[in-house]
Amino acid sequence: MINAVLVFNNSGQPRLTKFYTQLETSVQQRLISEIFTLVSNRPNSSCNFLPLPPLLASSSKSSTPTTPHNDTPSLVTYRHYATLYFIIISTSTESPLALLDLIQVFVEALDRLFENVCELDLIFNFETLHATLSELIVGGVVVETQLDKVVDGVKAQGRVAKRPVNEGKGALGLGGFGRGDGVWAGR
Amino acid sequence: MSLKECKKEIRSNDMDLKSTALMKLTYLEMFGHDMSWASFNVLEVMSSQKYRHKRTAYLAAVQSFRRDTEVLMLAENQLKKDITSPTPTVISLPLMAIPHVINPSMANSILSDLLPRLTHSHPAIRKKTVVTLYRLALVYPETLRPAWPKIKERLLDEREDPSVTAAIVNVVCELGWRRPQDFLSLAPRLFDLLVEGGNNWMAIKIIKLFATLTPLEPRLIKKLLPPLTKIIKETTAMSLLYECINGIIQGGILDGVEGTAEGEEIARLCVGKLRGMMVIEEDVNLKYVALLAFEKIVQSHPHLVSLHQDVILECIDDADISIRMRALDLVVGMVNSDNLMAIVGRLMRQLRNAPIASSTEDPANDRGRQSGVVPAADSDDSDAEESLRRANQTSNQAPPLPEDYRICVIRRILEMCSRDTYANITDFDWYIDVLVQLVRVSPATKLSPVMVHDELSDFGIPESKGDVSYEIGYELQNIAVRVKSVRREALEAAQSLILVDRRAQMFPTSGNGGQGVLEAVGWMVGEYANLLTQPDGVMTSLLHPSTTQLPSHTLAVYLQAIPKVFAGMAGQDQISWTPERRTLISLLLARIVHFLEPLTTHPSLEVQERAVEYLELMRLAAEAASSTETGTDQSDFIDPPLLLTQAIPALFTGLELNPVAPGAQRKVPLPEDLDLDTPINSNLQYLLQRADLETISDADEDDVYQAYNERPHIHSEAPMTAAERLEVSKSEPSSYQNAAEEEYLDPDILARRKAERRERYKDDPFYIDPERDRDSGVSTPLHNILKSSNGDELDIDSIPIMDLDLESKDRGFSEQRGREESTRATVKRKPRRNFEIMIDETLGLDEPTSSRGSSRPDLVRSSQAKGKKSLLEVDSSGLGSLSLEGDGNSKLDIERREAEEAEMAKALKEVERLRLEMQRAAERIHPKDAPLEGTLVKRKKKKTKTAPIVSAEVAGEVVEGGGEVVTKKKKKKVKTGEEEQADGGPAGAVDEGVVKPKKKKKRRQVLLDEPVATGS
Repeated sequence: MINAVLVFNNSGQPRLTKFYTQLETSVQQRLISEIFTLVSNRPNSSCNFLPLPPLLASSSKSSTPTTPHNDTPSLVTYRHYATLYFIIISTSTESPLALLDLIQVFVEALDRLFENVCELDLIFNFETLHATLSELIVGGVVVETQLDKVVDGVKAQGRVAKRPVNEGKGALGLGGFGRGDGVWAGR
Repeated sequence: MSLKECKKEIRSNDMDLKSTALMKLTYLEMFGHDMSWASFNVLEVMSSQKYRHKRTAYLAAVQSFRRDTEVLMLAENQLKKDITSPTPTVISLPLMAIPHVINPSMANSILSDLLPRLTHSHPAIRKKTVVTLYRLALVYPETLRPAWPKIKERLLDEREDPSVTAAIVNVVCELGWRRPQDFLSLAPRLFDLLVEGGNNWMAIKIIKLFATLTPLEPRLIKKLLPPLTKIIKETTAMSLLYECINGIIQGGILDGVEGTAEGEEIARLCVGKLRGMMVIEEDVNLKYVALLAFEKIVQSHPHLVSLHQDVILECIDDADISIRMRALDLVVGMVNSDNLMAIVGRLMRQLRNAPIASSTEDPANDRGRQSGVVPAADSDDSDAEESLRRANQTSNQAPPLPEDYRICVIRRILEMCSRDTYANITDFDWYIDVLVQLVRVSPATKLSPVMVHDELSDFGIPESKGDVSYEIGYELQNIAVRVKSVRREALEAAQSLILVDRRAQMFPTSGNGGQGVLEAVGWMVGEYANLLTQPDGVMTSLLHPSTTQLPSHTLAVYLQAIPKVFAGMAGQDQISWTPERRTLISLLLARIVHFLEPLTTHPSLEVQERAVEYLELMRLAAEAASSTETGTDQSDFIDPPLLLTQAIPALFTGLELNPVAPGAQRKVPLPEDLDLDTPINSNLQYLLQRADLETISDADEDDVYQAYNERPHIHSEAPMTAAERLEVSKSEPSSYQNAAEEEYLDPDILARRKAERRERYKDDPFYIDPERDRDSGVSTPLHNILKSSNGDELDIDSIPIMDLDLESKDRGFSEQRGREESTRATVKRKPRRNFEIMIDETLGLDEPTSSRGSSRPDLVRSSQAKGKKSLLEVDSSGLGSLSLEGDGNSKLDIERREAEEAEMAKALKEVERLRLEMQRAAERIHPKDAPLEGTLVKRKKKKTKTAPIVSAEVAGEVVEGGGEVVTKKKKKKVKTGEEEQADGGPAGAVDEGVVKPKKKKKRRQVLLDEPVATGS
């Protein structure tokens, strides 16, 4: 099953964090920063699978070749789109290549919903981002892989707000968050 | 500031404002700002009528609720309410939130609301419900029992929406590996779904599930083969292709069809495709997953993997760390005595040549390579090849090795070499050199003062302690102990490591890496001091001022080694006690005393204790040395002081130390006549008292002084019995004999080996030909050490040496060489030197824990520590014990409630019938009394429950006021009191059979009361 889905930007600021187990907020942050360190040091030519971050590696795979436990997260898959990293942490019951496709479906769904999606959309439409994810994955199990159905599912929940045109591109990070108030209140 | 604002807003009565504030908090939570204080506000917003508010609140709950969130109990009602909402979008909210907040008690009560949702008209609701039910089962496995038949019904329904079917397959796949036997009955339906195709994600899951089912049902193999072959040949999706191959290998399908024409075909197909993934495709992801697949099959089908050794070994040097790691894991599994040296050689080269990583690597070159999202295709069937396309750009520069990777490589080398008590090692000289080289490349450690303190507690265990150099040292020590034939060489290496003036050469130039090896090395030079070629140098290094800076546990080992080395240096009794010798020894002793003195106040108790002990011993020895007269005449043989030649060496020599299996101590049988209870001397108290008195009376300094210095006394002072000394004299020559035994290689064999080796390593970059070396004038420090320390007695040429001068060689060339060498190794077997490797000593049969890799107890330890749960892990072990087929003993609330209701209805009916019957009977006997007394007894009954004595009183009262039919009435009354639903009407004792188990306790009390009542 899928243990966590993370999205953060090139400087490591989270844009979406979804953990399918209850985890202390501080531990979540540590895990995010560990994964970011791993992922940001990788050249583009390398493959889309990360070695386990120290937090996860310590208790799982040791050097002994015992049978891998299917409950332990053992796979960190990521894809890099423009300014964003999409990361899925999963157990060995998931197929690594299929997870890459899943990320692609997720991003394509967002792209359809926002029409040429960019990082800013995800900041201002935080809820839609989560809604899209929960159309794909519920409780760590994939419920839908058809792009159309994902998009329809999100649209059924209400109108997807468009990005305000006058907001510049300097809105990355928390600065943008402050100005985002108006958008939320308006919906 | 923003947080404060939110705090204010969230308390407002305006729901819109509240919900906006909540969303801001949820957003901030993502950045690590705690919002647990707002959990009640989450509930408030959750109960709003507006969907928009609800959605915000549910998201907040999902993101912020933790196991210990107190409002969880209150949220339960809201969840139940929203699950039964008529609007599908509202139902979705609790469905997606429940997996995040569920706990066992909640699972129990929500189940009844959730089950009807499985037949909701909306497929989106149905599929989410299935998954939510699965998560319920994870926290409370019993919930699956009522849910499973309904889920199964959905799965078997062919008109079901494909999305729902896919979701169910996902869940079944998750459940499947826990209890595959429960899902065999679904095989036909799953097979149809696989053949129909359409959804690649689902197909992958089905294949994964089948891989767990085939071992239970071999007939499936024949059935599965055609569709799988078809998929492999036809599919455009790389992920599906890969999982097909994976499933075929993992499900044991290859074994199942072995020998048949089909089997040949499929085996060829799979292996060919996997190899293709490794070499032909220019896709790094495929390379990675192919390695993953190889890793899975290396245990069961090593022959299949070894066919591709060439491509796999290439991956060890891949630019990508992820791929390297996978290759490393894989290689550890496929190592054997033929390829060990080639593989280790590759890894060693990697460690030596790669620069040490700087943690602040600039990721700038990663950014902005792709602008915008690049949608590949419209459906999830999009070809993996296309969607995974990446710009391929390999840098020429060797990637820096991250520290943990470095450590990992070193650990793997040690693991490979030490496996099965060095079964794969054919050349221990080589291994010792590898270890010495590893010390040089080991990364620096960050030992915090706290850690140093902690280490004191587990003193003496050569455990990793996070520093891999301890493990290297442990290996070196292990070889010295186990392989007697190379003990001399191991000691040579140890000596070179411990010499202070060599430190710059032997250890990494920067940082404190490799220092951990000193602990084991210190032990070695002490224990085998007689094998040292430069005891003076070693002693100087042990006494070097820098020694005191070592970690306390290493220092303690050093302290132990000092007297041992001293004993070796000063203990010869064949040499006359000349003035020169006396001076030398006195000087040496003075240095030791000088070194030990400050350590008697060392903060570490272990160090302090040893320092104090040996300081005293050394002072005594100094006394003995200075007081023993030397011979004036050169020809005269004067015995050196016995303290030096007998007593001190006797402290440290004895039986050989042998490795002992971890469980051996436990297996030592208790001697039958062992009696630990009877005192050895019943007069102990008296003896102790006398001893006290004696010491007081005898406290004469001169006496003590003399006792230590007079020769005959020294003999008796030596802590050794005659029998022990006999053993010593026996064991010492035997060890020499063993060492000599190893030299049975005749000169001609040695010469041949030498020539062979030169031939074999002619092109090996790791080997320096001494002749060529002399020409080039370039020499390695290691070489120098060996040359200078060994003199002529050792065959230098027989030791392969890591070439430090690799820069001049082309890298590609050497890689090619390595490959060629590995293939050649399989053709031409090198002559194996016969090493006798001591295995762990144990009694009786080996226990499973010590059977594997017993030379590395740390491995055993680490596997024991495995029980620890990983972060992020969702434990599904509860499901393992749940059988879906049979009915379990413990029933679920919902089932129990149904059963109870039925039982209750039956019981009530019976009670009613009996009541009527009794009433009729009572009316017949005593029309007036019955209702009155019924109430009276009921009131008193409360007391009856508290104490039997009171009940006796009650009984008395009843008897008094009762009248003629005492016994009978009493029975009735007590019963009436017991029947809680009864309103005073008498019920018979007959209804005992229908009373529910819950009331058992009370009923027993009643039976107890009755004799009292009748008796009074």
